[in-house]
Amino acid sequence: MVRVVVGIKWVPNTQAVRFDPKTGTLMREGVPSIINPPDLSAVEFALKIKERYGGEAIAITMAPPSAVKGLEHVLGMGVDRAVLISDRAFAGADTLATSYVLAEAIKKISRDVGKVDLAVFGQETIDSSTAHIPAQTASWLRWPYVYYVTDLEIKDDKVVVSRVLEDRVEKYELELPSVISVFMESIEARDVRLLHKLRAKIEKPIVVWSNKELKLDPRCIGLKGSPTMVSKITWTLEVPRKKIVYKPKDPEDAARWLISMLLKDEKTSKIFKWVVGG
Amino acid sequence: MIKSNTTFPTKFDAIVVGAGPAGAASAYVLSKKGFKVLLVDRSREAGSKELYGGRIYLGPLKEVWPDLDKKAPIHRWIKKERASIMGKDGRIITIEYNAGRRTSFTAYLPELVRWMVSKAEEEGTIFVDEVVVDELLTSDGKVVGIRSGPDEIRSDVVIDAEGVNRLLLEKLGLVSGPRPEELALGIKEVLKVRKNEINAQFNVDDDEGVAWILMGDITLGIPGGGFIYTFNETISIGIVIHMANAIRAAEAGAINHSFELVENLRLHPYFNKLWKSSDVIEYGAHLTIEDGLSFMPKRLVYPGLLIVGDAAGLILNTGYTVRGVDFAVYSGKLAAEAVEKALSEKEGATEENLKVYEDMVRKSFMYNELKRHRASKELMKDPEFFTKISRIPLKFFSELYEIDKEVPTAYEAFKNACRSEDSGPLSLMFKLWGMVKKL
Ligand SMILES: Cc1cc2nc3c(=O)[nH]c(=O)nc-3n(C[C@H](O)[C@H](O)[C@H](O)COP(=O)(O)OP(=O)(O)OC[C@H]3O[C@@H](n4cnc5c(N)ncnc54)[C@H](O)[C@@H]3O)c2cc1C
Repeated sequence: MVRVVVGIKWVPNTQAVRFDPKTGTLMREGVPSIINPPDLSAVEFALKIKERYGGEAIAITMAPPSAVKGLEHVLGMGVDRAVLISDRAFAGADTLATSYVLAEAIKKISRDVGKVDLAVFGQETIDSSTAHIPAQTASWLRWPYVYYVTDLEIKDDKVVVSRVLEDRVEKYELELPSVISVFMESIEARDVRLLHKLRAKIEKPIVVWSNKELKLDPRCIGLKGSPTMVSKITWTLEVPRKKIVYKPKDPEDAARWLISMLLKDEKTSKIFKWVVGG
Repeated sequence: MIKSNTTFPTKFDAIVVGAGPAGAASAYVLSKKGFKVLLVDRSREAGSKELYGGRIYLGPLKEVWPDLDKKAPIHRWIKKERASIMGKDGRIITIEYNAGRRTSFTAYLPELVRWMVSKAEEEGTIFVDEVVVDELLTSDGKVVGIRSGPDEIRSDVVIDAEGVNRLLLEKLGLVSGPRPEELALGIKEVLKVRKNEINAQFNVDDDEGVAWILMGDITLGIPGGGFIYTFNETISIGIVIHMANAIRAAEAGAINHSFELVENLRLHPYFNKLWKSSDVIEYGAHLTIEDGLSFMPKRLVYPGLLIVGDAAGLILNTGYTVRGVDFAVYSGKLAAEAVEKALSEKEGATEENLKVYEDMVRKSFMYNELKRHRASKELMKDPEFFTKISRIPLKFFSELYEIDKEVPTAYEAFKNACRSEDSGPLSLMFKLWGMVKKL
């Protein structure tokens, strides 16, 4: 029996976010949030562990209330229950303050529900890509951690994990409990299942924890607990589209036209020549 | 913390497949009457798979949600109706009607459907999204529930609100596969334009909108038409073409890609100025029904099953108005009322007990409308009509208005317009009259 906690992040769909070149800020208004896609691989990984060893999978997220939608999705995939950590006091947190809250929530799950054996995270988030959270959460918990994991095997109170690097696969043996960050391209998340989703809707197995429940020192959470300073944001300007429409006779004609256009432009012709080596 | 392995009920009074306007309405009405309802949809979020033109008639919706006009996410009330006949050479006739009262509005269908579903949930409907129903379960010739992947859920009655693409009904053998003759293809773009720019360009107030239909050369002669609807801060533009004719045109090489038709509309010099500084923020395509009555399944009820909305062919497409959403909602309401009646009888949802739904549909304004406009269907599919109806008036006005020295009399202009179609004025008048009668 293994109790796995899987962390997910509720992020703005960065593909739909636009950048305001005048102010240098992201325009998030009206952009729907989604589950950070690499976290779906982590959920799949957690469910596979649960299926293999028995036990339960618990999803946690620190997010605004709208993240219930995302938690319902992972419950629909087969996660047993979920914790939404939500409080204005947690807002504005950097990765340090976030990992602190997550670690304390994992401790609380261990106290209230039963000992947590594994905490699983996605490799990184699409809205910041720091990949800090697994390591930082593990550090608060004083648990060992490994990144880029594709597989694991549990033996008694130890776990052997495989992690991929660019050119090789390594194996490590860790003590349980430990923290694992899942290599994001290694598995595909399953679909939502009718009965699971129905259960999520009827039983609503989501608890909400504010700081009333977690009782954390206000100096260590939210904006106050976040020493990170963003000193400068730079960006590459969006290239205005030329909006030229060409109606080709056939694919060859299309290719010819496209190449002639690429060669006409100073910048693209350089790149093009470099790519084709001429 | 909540327990993890409790059992929960998996039997419902009614399961509604598809949370479009039809499904949302029937789930809402049934829940309000106290039935246990499960509403299932495959989209990521209620309504997110919807694609339509843009205008909805209020009347039938208000019978289900009396406060809809005050509470629902409505964008603009249609104030101006415009219709344009387009010629090849930039000649265009546009007529505008300024409406006296508010009978229809524009809304984002995904937003509106989400609102409808939330109303159903407030009444107790269990709504499950992100789930595809693979099959309607049957036992002894009666529909008894649904299957999705490995999961089965049972109910006394199932309401099929799956829309135009009737895979579930097909699987049961209740309808045959899609036939191009009965269908049309809609292609649409959403253009982002500032609110005050829309108001200025279309000469409307903040909450007033324009419904604009286009005929003639905009579809390159393929039977069908174009549309333009104004929303809060967007304009939706699109083309609907009759599928069978579109396929013929594509095979004959007359069109390359259907999306070019919408692009031609967006870039058309006559319209382009209305959305000069716009961005295309969405595009998409969806099937729709050209001929509701022939798309309609032989029966709308089977033991344990009722069919509503598009799946039932309950959509009116006259060429100048599309009434799908209000028909869908109204049919959903009728089905819910029939289910209430049937489930109050001893034998429950038998075909005989559910039959009231079919009777209600046949007596309703929807069926009447479909019958009344039947003849126009033939016309709408006729390429000859489509080219003539646009060419003659265009020629007439060009004779009348494009003047070098002499102004022709109206009759002379008309004669010339007819002659250009190889026809005498009189025989053409008869022919046209025959056509117009069908409208
Ligand atoms: C281009 C275009 C323009 C239009 N313009 C207008 C207009 O201006 N005004 C107007 O009133 N009408 C218009 N219509 C018609 C209108 O959109 C439809 O008539 C209306 O949406 C039908 O509602 P419905 O609930 O029957 O089906 P739909 O709205 O199609 O809903 C069906 C739902 O069922 C779900 N579903 C299907 N199969 C399954 C399954 N197996 N499992 C789970 N879920 C499933 C789908 O995801 C969908 O959400 C237009 C349509 C098109 C295509």
